[in-house]
Amino acid sequence: MSESDPKQRLKELEARIAAAKGVEKDKPHQEEHYSQAQHAWRMVIELVSGLGIGFGVGYGLDALLGTRPWLMVLFALLGFAAGINVMIRTAKELQGQKLAEMAGEDERDRHGDGS
Amino acid sequence: MATEAEGGGLVFHPMDQFIVKPVFGDGAVGMFTFTNMALWLLLAVVCVIALMVLGTSKRATVPSRIQSVAELAYGFIYKMVEDVTGKDAVKYFPYIFTLFMFIVFSNFLALIPTSFSPTSHIAVTAVLGFGVFIAVTVLGFVKNGAGFLGLFWVASAPLALRPILAIIELISYFVRPVSHSIRLAGNIMAGHAVLKVFAGFAAITAVAPLSILGITAIFALEVLVGFIQAYVFTILTCVYLKDALHPSH
Repeated sequence: MSESDPKQRLKELEARIAAAKGVEKDKPHQEEHYSQAQHAWRMVIELVSGLGIGFGVGYGLDALLGTRPWLMVLFALLGFAAGINVMIRTAKELQGQKLAEMAGEDERDRHGDGS
Repeated sequence: MATEAEGGGLVFHPMDQFIVKPVFGDGAVGMFTFTNMALWLLLAVVCVIALMVLGTSKRATVPSRIQSVAELAYGFIYKMVEDVTGKDAVKYFPYIFTLFMFIVFSNFLALIPTSFSPTSHIAVTAVLGFGVFIAVTVLGFVKNGAGFLGLFWVASAPLALRPILAIIELISYFVRPVSHSIRLAGNIMAGHAVLKVFAGFAAITAVAPLSILGITAIFALEVLVGFIQAYVFTILTCVYLKDALHPSH
């Protein structure tokens, strides 16, 4: 008895921990809503800093080569494209997360109905 | 106080709190002057050590409060590294965890009234951001050799377009550390400046209760922002690390 009892109790404790964790799984969802503005900030800053870096590189090369203002214009445009590129990649990443999340939710719902 | 009512007009100095000053005596800030910035950076480090080293020094099986906070933080970041970057990146966990603890403590210490917020300075966050950038780039080259440059050479595009796309990809690559550091500094600086502006309105007696309510609300938001910014910085570090280890996108 003294041998099986602790094992039994350990098992029960593990089940209880698992149950508690399962309930807590819903929590990050709420946090997501607060940090929604975060994604907007991230994209805007990426767009603007792309433009800024492009402009800076062009300006620097112009100063070196004496071709003002042509490289500045060219690299500002390239930087803008790069900013959009990064932004689209971020959007894709977020979309992927959202889809995975929704799929996980469906899975859990089905699981809940079945058992 | 940075703000006072002068002849009925309100005077706002929301950015004065970010001025770097020497702690002992006044005068110019030189290379090795011990400034308020240095003081609060040091305090953040001391707090991290207090939590992670002293807090867990007993190694109790049933953790004390401080130890369980330390364990919670450790587990939180460990799981994040494992989930985002994969099992093979766990050996870079110490660096990521150090970054997280340092940022989260500087952000929270900055919320103490009359304190100084080191993470509101681009100089600090840029060092953190470019540290990650350089580490990740070096790691990418070490792990993948010259193949890491394939990241900039879009093989699916027509040959004539590839040089232009390579420049765009290169700029895109440099966007990340810049946005990484601007975001952290910008958020913290904006929040603290807004707090000061609200505090400035407290000089008018009629508006003072509203102003104090406003400060309370913004302060609560700042607590949240302080944590979320540290979290975002850390998770993006994990994402960049993953890109360096498996450059395939």
